[in-house]
Amino acid sequence: MTRDLEPAVRDAWHVLCRSADLAPGAATRLRLLSRDVEVARNAAGTVSARLLDGEAVATREAYGHVFACLGTPAAPLFDIAEFAEDDRRLATCGAVRVRASGLRLVENFLDMAHFPFVHTDLLGVEERPEVPRYDIEIRRDVDEVWATNCRFWQPRAAASSAEGQMSEYLYRVAGPFAVMLYKTCPADPSRFDVIGLLIRPAEPDLSYAYAFVLVLDEASSETAIVHFQQTIFLQDRIVLENQRPRLLPLAPNAETPTRADMSSVAYRRWLKEKGVRYGTVEGLAGHGEAEGVP
Amino acid sequence: MSLVLHDWELSADAYRARLALGMLDLPYTKVPVDVVPGRETDTPAFRALSPTGAMPVLVEGDLVLSEIGAILIHLAERHDPAGTWLPREPARRARCLDRLLFALGSLRACDAARDAALFETPSRIADPLAEARAALRVLESLLARRALAGEAFLAGEEPTIADLAAFPAAALAVDWGEDLALLPKTRLWTRRVRALPGFTTMPGVPEFL
Ligand SMILES: [Fe+2]
Repeated sequence: MTRDLEPAVRDAWHVLCRSADLAPGAATRLRLLSRDVEVARNAAGTVSARLLDGEAVATREAYGHVFACLGTPAAPLFDIAEFAEDDRRLATCGAVRVRASGLRLVENFLDMAHFPFVHTDLLGVEERPEVPRYDIEIRRDVDEVWATNCRFWQPRAAASSAEGQMSEYLYRVAGPFAVMLYKTCPADPSRFDVIGLLIRPAEPDLSYAYAFVLVLDEASSETAIVHFQQTIFLQDRIVLENQRPRLLPLAPNAETPTRADMSSVAYRRWLKEKGVRYGTVEGLAGHGEAEGVP
Repeated sequence: MSLVLHDWELSADAYRARLALGMLDLPYTKVPVDVVPGRETDTPAFRALSPTGAMPVLVEGDLVLSEIGAILIHLAERHDPAGTWLPREPARRARCLDRLLFALGSLRACDAARDAALFETPSRIADPLAEARAALRVLESLLARRALAGEAFLAGEEPTIADLAAFPAAALAVDWGEDLALLPKTRLWTRRVRALPGFTTMPGVPEFL
């Protein structure tokens, strides 16, 4: 039963698990959008999923992960063109549980202003907290939010960094619970590394974050790349778990945006326009099981 | 003899080893272990180093240690000529070992609560959250008794490996949603540990406790 979910969430693609976590012949039960979903891989390697109360749900396998759509897919799974470039390496970081709305995770991912204070000496330094002006737009043709021309001084931008760099960033919100960033590659400044954060919203205020990295990095071991991302994400997780309310408020002026929050303003506006309620304060009445609103 | 630590940034036990290596000012090489999501600790190659899959693993020449208690004791005995981290005088040594075993025994429930909160790692402990909270209260009362005796650390006036073993359990409590606000002696003590020369932090340890 998914009728109570708004189309913007019901008909979107959401990550279920990593491909590697589902061996042939294996099945596992996961929570997605307050429903129990059983996902399985048959002996031939094909993945399928169904709601525990019966209905089959659409699945796709891509980017090292398994995705599901609980309704009728409104669009194909978002394309990440860089996966076609065969000199890149993919590292998937696994699931981290966070007691916060998945929308909060996306919003935090978009925010550069926290780098010097949350990722001190990795993604930022306290002496250089300024976020230079960048451009933000809602791209109507693809129904995505993009932030472009972002720049930030980073002492250790990636696992492969030997020294600090002025990182150029491009953020892309590909779905309510899926966000990517493209960032200057320390090994080849003419190209971008891709870092993705795919979120499985289990409950309105409980999320599982699946980070992946698609990099040009021949030197670092895959484990070193994963550890770097895990370190960064654990730093974010503390901030995320301590935000109140755990749900994201979409009402205007619910939380005063600062200048650096332009991307947050655009993301919230986009969610509101699409009618996203799951994981929002406004959607609280509709989804029953949420807690944590003060 | 060079030191190698088979390490995972997010492991509380690995952090205990890194704290000891840092405080003793020992250079070492890190070998990252893909614990989550790769389950490298279940592979034959890793089990050859660590039969139970426990990590971190410390390698020093022919010596391969995979029990964190043994790693801390070894580092103190072998690399602390002043003998302050594991005192040699029998009564002080016994007290240090008593607190060390508490930190690596009951207090380990905090690690289980944290692993469950972060990765839903199953635990042998029935209710990690309740046991972790109970163990933190014991830590608080141990520290309160030391404070009454005018002593700043778990086993006396000076920090020992018992403090290093206990520190991650308390300092990473925020990862499993526990607030140290009601444990004032614990908070004071974590600040003292933080201020020690050679202290290293890790993600999850609050900047201000
Ligand atoms: Fe962050």
